[in-house]
Amino acid sequence: MRAVLCGILVVCLALVGCAGGGKSDTVKVGWFGPLTGDNALWGQSELNTVKMMFEDFNAKGGIEVGGKKYKLEVIGYDDKGDGTEAVNVAKRLTSQDKVVAVLGPNGSGEAIPVAPIMNEAKVPLIATVATNPKVTVREDGTLNKFMFRDCFIDPYQGAVAATYAYEKLGKRKAAIFMSVDDQYSAGLTQYFEETFTKLGGKVVEKVSFTSGEKEFRAPLTKIKAADPDIIFSPNYYTDVSLSAKQARELGIKCIMMGGDGWPSDNLIPLAGDALEGSYCVNHLDFEDPAVKPFKDAYTAKYKIPPELNGYMVHDAVVMLVDAMQRAKSFDGTKLAEALESCDVQGITGRIKINPATHNPEGKEAAMLKIVGPKLVFVEKFAAK
Amino acid sequence: MVQFLQQLVNGLSIGSVYALMAVGYSLVYSIMNFSNFAHGAVIMLGAYFGFYSLTLLRLPFGVSFVLAAVGTGLVAVLLERLAYKPLRERRAPFLYFIITAMGASIFIENLVVATIGPTYKTYPAVFGQGPIQLGALSIGRIDLTMFVVSAISLTALMIFIDRTKMGKAIQASAYNMKASALMGINTDRVIIIVFALGGALAGVAGVLFGMKYLVYPQIGNITNKSFIAAVFGGLGSLPGALIGSVLLALIETFVSGYLSSQYRDLIGFVILIAMLVVRPTGIMGKSAEDKA
Repeated sequence: MRAVLCGILVVCLALVGCAGGGKSDTVKVGWFGPLTGDNALWGQSELNTVKMMFEDFNAKGGIEVGGKKYKLEVIGYDDKGDGTEAVNVAKRLTSQDKVVAVLGPNGSGEAIPVAPIMNEAKVPLIATVATNPKVTVREDGTLNKFMFRDCFIDPYQGAVAATYAYEKLGKRKAAIFMSVDDQYSAGLTQYFEETFTKLGGKVVEKVSFTSGEKEFRAPLTKIKAADPDIIFSPNYYTDVSLSAKQARELGIKCIMMGGDGWPSDNLIPLAGDALEGSYCVNHLDFEDPAVKPFKDAYTAKYKIPPELNGYMVHDAVVMLVDAMQRAKSFDGTKLAEALESCDVQGITGRIKINPATHNPEGKEAAMLKIVGPKLVFVEKFAAK
Repeated sequence: MVQFLQQLVNGLSIGSVYALMAVGYSLVYSIMNFSNFAHGAVIMLGAYFGFYSLTLLRLPFGVSFVLAAVGTGLVAVLLERLAYKPLRERRAPFLYFIITAMGASIFIENLVVATIGPTYKTYPAVFGQGPIQLGALSIGRIDLTMFVVSAISLTALMIFIDRTKMGKAIQASAYNMKASALMGINTDRVIIIVFALGGALAGVAGVLFGMKYLVYPQIGNITNKSFIAAVFGGLGSLPGALIGSVLLALIETFVSGYLSSQYRDLIGFVILIAMLVVRPTGIMGKSAEDKA
């Protein structure tokens, strides 16, 4: 039954694709994400951004695809931040609404279960902040042909941190302070270690702790004995600030570095001045001049500044429009092919999709530095 | 060598806080013969009392310490009156005491989550941040304070138990509650004093712990360690609780310092089990005479 439906769907899509060239001049694009529940703010920020951008395109007469102008229409559904609900709305978007592509969702927990649906329906999807590697490449190593994203995956932050520490900060001896039972920490550590060693640096000590722990001095004393000039701490802000304080008590003076687990309103109140001069990697910074025009336009329209999700979905739209124009078609398979060779400049950085993984490769991250009571944007930086 | 000494310092400072907590368990156990699992919740309240008297009332550090100790002493006595006394009067089995203690602990923890909230809080910097340098050895100011305050509190407790009339009454009650009552000792008052003492030490431990790490509703979980230390040293024996705490902390520190923190609890608890198999009464084997 499903196969039949699917077949019909493919035919329909193909027809829509062909028909698009003739009479219809409105193209439907799907979006789903949380509009209610804990993460509602993120979802609303995404949908508002897509609506705002489509209105702008349409006000200018639409986008030009294959020599003809088309208007864009977004069909947005609430997935309540839930995987099962995401599957339902993804089915509805692909089978009933017959959208040509889907933007979102923002979370890996919703993106991973919809992958089979998108692959079956042959409708490409561009996830926004779904950072889990399994969104695009399944556990057994096979590629989800219709799944894309415009954020970098978790472990990539480790490579960015290592390159920045080695090239920009001139650090040569790194110590790693990682959480032993956390996948995020392990992923960042692996990439940091590989990259830093490849560049010519040396990892002089690697110690671990168990999450939930509050006493870190024993492993930190080991780090002190190794005398590193930077400590990589790929952990969440509570562990980061507490361990930094204890490191200072032990007389460890070198700076620290971490990933997007650091940025939090609580980081510096908890750490005091123990992290002064340290760096962390984030997806982007709201103070970055490149995002200012979008931020201002959004804030003027909705009277509230966009969340990280707004910026990310902005670039997902940029990717999709670029793919439509290069494919000169709205056919799902052709769009997916175009997305595989995507190389566009978004406001969150340059997005160059690796056809083997469907992840943006070498995307710039925002480097933040702790100065006094603030996380200050330093520059954008990418690992090779 | 420097690393060894540094780990020794780390271990001693952790051990001194374990000791403050473990002594509270041992005191109550020696009199009532049950493990007061609500002790962890009282320690947590101590950390909050100290935090608020420093930040909200802006009282000086010393006063905050005393205030927290008095506050938790009162809480512990209140707990005894409300939760344990009715059980005692009905001669309930010891299991009921333990269940009541666990219930009280969960109640207090959730009360704090519901009223104050689950977020982490940090003590204002009471001492300068920089460590005291002894050659290549760094000794944290808070660690030093922890060690000194623990030592003073524990010595005061020992003197109280050894030299005062009430102390003698506590020892007698620990030896035999019924006989002591027959000899004219007011055992009900002894129990109140024991809870007040244990509670006050819990308050001191709570403030020290909060200062050193963070303040949050689950602080009480750390007392699992001090309970183990109390068993290790010999439940019911004060010097035992002390030695057990310092030993456990040293073992933990050296294992995570020289092997890996993954093995820390593994090795610590294997030693504990081995100890109990060979010598079930703990290090300071509790023969009836030296209880308390």
